Amino acid sequence: VIEVYAITKAPGPRAPGLHTIENGGLAAVCSSASEQEISADELWRRQEVLDALMRDCDLLPVRYGSTLDDDGAAERLLEERRDELTEALDRVRGAVELAVRVAGDGDGHGGAGDGAVYMRVKTRLLEMHKALSDLARESRELAPGRSAYLVSRADIVAFVARVAALEEANEDLSFLCTGPWPPYSFVTP
Amino acid sequence: MSTLADRDVALVDLIDRLLGGGVVIAGDITLAAADVDLVYVGLRALVTSVATAEEKGLLGPLQKTALERSAL
Repeated sequence: VIEVYAITKAPGPRAPGLHTIENGGLAAVCSSASEQEISADELWRRQEVLDALMRDCDLLPVRYGSTLDDDGAAERLLEERRDELTEALDRVRGAVELAVRVAGDGDGHGGAGDGAVYMRVKTRLLEMHKALSDLARESRELAPGRSAYLVSRADIVAFVARVAALEEANEDLSFLCTGPWPPYSFVTP
Repeated sequence: MSTLADRDVALVDLIDRLLGGGVVIAGDITLAAADVDLVYVGLRALVTSVATAEEKGLLGPLQKTALERSAL
């Protein structure tokens, strides 16, 4: 049984403990499946492997815990989904994912809540989402106030500066920007 | 994500992404729902250091919601 970490263009990156399976211009970066118990440390270990890989190449991260029977199954996967995976890799080329969470101090407590305050916060969230989307190649709102942005590597600094500027201009809201992540939220069109 | 505190705060985003994002392949997802709960419990164990972030106003109601899921 093997575990698939990521899909890249062939030839795949070389890294200790990992092997690549190639087919039709794509590569699956795999390891033998680990019996590692899931924990925060284990998840960070996975992320560190992906961090190292994404320094050298563009990749599509594969959902954690995805296993296949053997290398042949990985080869078939690349063959069967070549068009979809190739198109996704082209879309994320040279870009990373940045996550932004914005929360208002006013919501979340105060009983039934003030509808007008809620709407005002919501409007501002939309405006900020738009301001950040302008610097991104693509954006996705994962949940209210929680968005993911596909940002070209060259634009990361400008993007983070814009988050900082928004934070300064909206002192009543709290901001959290994390990344760069592999494009977890942008693997499908 | 260089300092420990940053990592703790970023863990919510990491879990959302590793377990909810990425390419879904036609294989077995070895992770059972119970395992996901365990991750959130692990996350809860880290919340003590996140409390510092909360004091600084880094965590809003949305993150707290994510953390509360660990209590389920």
